[in-house]
Amino acid sequence: MSETPAAKPPEEPKGPGLCGQFLKDHGIATTRLPDSCGVETIEIDGAHLEAAMKLLRGSSEIKLDYLVAVSGVDSADTFDSVYQLWSYSNNNELIIKVRVKKTDVVEGQLPLVPSLSRFWSAANWHERETYDLVGIRYYGHPYLRRILNVWDWDGHPLRRDYKQLVDALNDKAPGSFR
Amino acid sequence: MATDTEVDLTPRLKTDEMLINMGPQHPATHGVLRLILTLDGEIVRHTEPILGHLHRAQEWQGQNRTWFQYQALIDRVDYLSGMFTSWAMARAAEVVDGCEVPERAEYLRVMVSEMNRITSHLLWLGTYLIDLGAMFGFPFYPFREREKLLELFEEIAGQRMMFNYIRIGGVMRNPKDAWLSKLKKFTEEFPDRVDEYEAIVTENPIFLKRTKGVGILRKELGMDYGITGPSIRASGVNIDLRRTKPYSVYPKLKFDVPVNDRDGDTFDRYIFRIREMRQSNEIIKQCLDMLPQGEISGKKQIAGLRVKAGEGFAAVESPRGTLGCYIISNGSDRAYRIKWRNPSFCNLSILPELLKNHPIADVMAIFGSIDVILPDVDR
Repeated sequence: MSETPAAKPPEEPKGPGLCGQFLKDHGIATTRLPDSCGVETIEIDGAHLEAAMKLLRGSSEIKLDYLVAVSGVDSADTFDSVYQLWSYSNNNELIIKVRVKKTDVVEGQLPLVPSLSRFWSAANWHERETYDLVGIRYYGHPYLRRILNVWDWDGHPLRRDYKQLVDALNDKAPGSFR
Repeated sequence: MATDTEVDLTPRLKTDEMLINMGPQHPATHGVLRLILTLDGEIVRHTEPILGHLHRAQEWQGQNRTWFQYQALIDRVDYLSGMFTSWAMARAAEVVDGCEVPERAEYLRVMVSEMNRITSHLLWLGTYLIDLGAMFGFPFYPFREREKLLELFEEIAGQRMMFNYIRIGGVMRNPKDAWLSKLKKFTEEFPDRVDEYEAIVTENPIFLKRTKGVGILRKELGMDYGITGPSIRASGVNIDLRRTKPYSVYPKLKFDVPVNDRDGDTFDRYIFRIREMRQSNEIIKQCLDMLPQGEISGKKQIAGLRVKAGEGFAAVESPRGTLGCYIISNGSDRAYRIKWRNPSFCNLSILPELLKNHPIADVMAIFGSIDVILPDVDR
């Protein structure tokens, strides 16, 4: 469970793909990551996320107007916020990753990623879910509270270092009311 | 002092908004959903859905169970269309792993999935009429056909609802000839049965009054919320992964995807599900004719099943919309991270918008029409 994904073999440097080039033309720097199963994957700095999303969604040729999912991943040394983007009208696909280094996260606080839900309603519940399960704080979210776990749950279950304080199935905790 | 003519004669009633709690144990919420409604008289002004009563930590299970164990669990995510959840994970694992799926297995997958789509829509149809208050026993009509399909499922997968039939790399079992001929018989008589439902429901004046013009879903709003499936096709967005991002053997099959030409209401969402059932029936017929011989699995179904390292996202068109699965594998016998994109979860998020300014009597009519399954929402 605690092992991390095997190191990928070093790939030859690739030029920016369709969407990466589009963002570059509009002055937003991206890093191209290895394609995940043939889909262009880029990494973007959190500060540019909102501007990039607005560009990709609004442009008539790219038109990535369908936010399929927002996932949180607790990787080896980063917290990733992964956005799957599709289009309702064409076949473009893009995966965007925003990475927050674990060393950058202040002790006792959650990693910060800007929220998209102010201009994209689809992101609202996905971000709440990611906050709940992986513990990424989306700043600017209108109503960031737990959605799947109960509101007073401790910790974020999909973190690698998550320890459940009370064994919910075989409750042996002394003084527990269950 | 005020004279008689200056006296304010409007009744001094206290008008205030009221909070009403609906659920989680409400018979029409198809599971356990709690809605906190803010009412102005009888009109809903604001809704807050509270989820998670059925949360079973499916993503956590995915990281802590082997692939082989987890395959048996995921049908429980959406118990009315278990084939699709299995298929979404199998597809995601297959694109990451790069393993080939034999053609016969693909045809069998399409066949059982379309059967599952029909059973899911049939259950929706029966319970939706109950949601609307039609307590005259109509649900027994669709449940009659659903029962026939469930018996076929039982025969081929050993289970009526949690099939665990579609596996990573292929399918579990070969159907017998008798099973195929039973299915053929079903497909021949099914269109007549759909006519029967339509004769009872489609032009029923009470049904029309409860559904026409109620809960209109604007196309742009639906796209903003990432709505998929029949709900958005009834509002005029042509997104059906079987056609727009074709997978499996769907490109070889002939079928229509019914798409509305205007913003759909509750009635449109009903009629588009009915049309979809007829198309599914056509697909099953073609699959029965085209079913090739050969292997049914491209990967050994052993307890130590492994998926190569990598990451990928794959989706299938479930009865409720885009059902996606995002997998990160590190080559071991279990997933490093597995994330579900459940159509019910995304479709439910639009409910507060749809309920706004509708009377409380329409809450269940609208909620039922977007066809949400709560285990699929809460995972």
